Amino acid sequence: MPQTKKEIVKVEDLHKRYGKEEVLRGISMEVDEGEVVILVGPSGTGKSTLLRCINQLTRPDSKKVWVNGIDLTNPKTDIDKARQHIGMVFQDFNLFNHLTALDNVMLGLTQVLNMDKETARQKAMAELDRVGLCNKFMNYPGQLSGGQKQRVAIARSLAMEPIVMLFDEPTSALDPELIGEVLVVMKDLAMAGMTMICVTHEIGFARDVSTRIVFMEHGDIVEQGTPKKMLSNPDLPRTKQFLGKISDLH
Amino acid sequence: MEELRVLVPYILRGLSVTLEVTGVALGIGLFFGAILAILRVYGGDILSRILTVYTSILRALPHILLLLVIYFLIARIVNLSPFWAGSLSLGIISSAYQAEIIRGAILAVPRGQMMAARSIGMPRFKAILKVILPQAFRHAIPPWSNEAAIVIKDSSLVYVLGVPEILRQAQYYSAREYQPFLAYVTVAVIYFLLTFTTNRGLDALEKRIRIPGF
Repeated sequence: MPQTKKEIVKVEDLHKRYGKEEVLRGISMEVDEGEVVILVGPSGTGKSTLLRCINQLTRPDSKKVWVNGIDLTNPKTDIDKARQHIGMVFQDFNLFNHLTALDNVMLGLTQVLNMDKETARQKAMAELDRVGLCNKFMNYPGQLSGGQKQRVAIARSLAMEPIVMLFDEPTSALDPELIGEVLVVMKDLAMAGMTMICVTHEIGFARDVSTRIVFMEHGDIVEQGTPKKMLSNPDLPRTKQFLGKISDLH
Repeated sequence: MEELRVLVPYILRGLSVTLEVTGVALGIGLFFGAILAILRVYGGDILSRILTVYTSILRALPHILLLLVIYFLIARIVNLSPFWAGSLSLGIISSAYQAEIIRGAILAVPRGQMMAARSIGMPRFKAILKVILPQAFRHAIPPWSNEAAIVIKDSSLVYVLGVPEILRQAQYYSAREYQPFLAYVTVAVIYFLLTFTTNRGLDALEKRIRIPGF
């Protein structure tokens, strides 16, 4: 039965240049509700820039980025309001260093969504529980391992009830032993139907949970397709070469 | 002992003026210094350049010269008592130094903190208030305690405007009783105690609000 999926993210002919260097050269992509899209490609290819252009942490040079039907490049759009529902997880966690795990998750609830303290506290505890860290709620970021920090960061985003989650190399700064615990949380999230766009080279994760792998190089999309096709039988030799290399590593 | 009995009232009167001048100057300096620092970091290129000129000029000139210039500038516009004119001038001077201290402290907060705050939909100003400044002020305490010691000592400069702070009172005393040594040594001891306890207090504050594990 054909089903019209709701379009969550849409970018059209996205351009971004830093000085002379053109980082994004006209990217177009659409992400539907419930999709888990993996962005892969050599470093310096513009994957992170693409993510940041989606929630406008980086302002693109072109004018076509929609999230949930709202044009985020329109100056009249309340970008803060739009960002409330676009979760973002960073490579280096970026937890608020001066706040406990609980307060990290609560800050957006009380200060952005104006929730009362008690409700926010319960909600934050529930989110910490979801990432398996409710026993660490009083710990400061400096007292958590990298994997725990990243899980708190995910909880902080989830508490805002995002319609889409952007992951910018969420496991790249972690010791190999700690990567698993973060991937488990991300897998649960994908299974629960969260729309996700992840920059990651965790090929196992891509194979198991993604709906699409997008291979980028030099600021452009080279090829995209289902993980099965991309990993076993891509159209282009360059895709095969790159994905083959990172598959061997894992 | 008789000398001390005469000296103490002079010293106490002067000490309270010194404390008031210092308190007002540091307070004004902190308030405007923080605003200057925030505007310099987040206010955009043009504003930042203008403010750089402001802080550069204030930091380039001798404090006593600035005190006189600002005093006579202010005196032309409004009628202020020498106490307020002096304290305000010291505060303005201190704001230039404190702006640099706080600016450095803000820049020491990792960029990702602002990005993370913005990514959950927090407006920029609120992110500065709730995420950046609480961390920046912790970085600022050690250099700030240096500035506090300087302002305590600079408070003696308001004597050029005729404000009877502790050093001025010591001069009154020594002129009357011919005991300069006793007067100035007493004042020296008091300045030492003031800066010493202030720095100790700020050290304690720094430890108290240190972020666990950071």
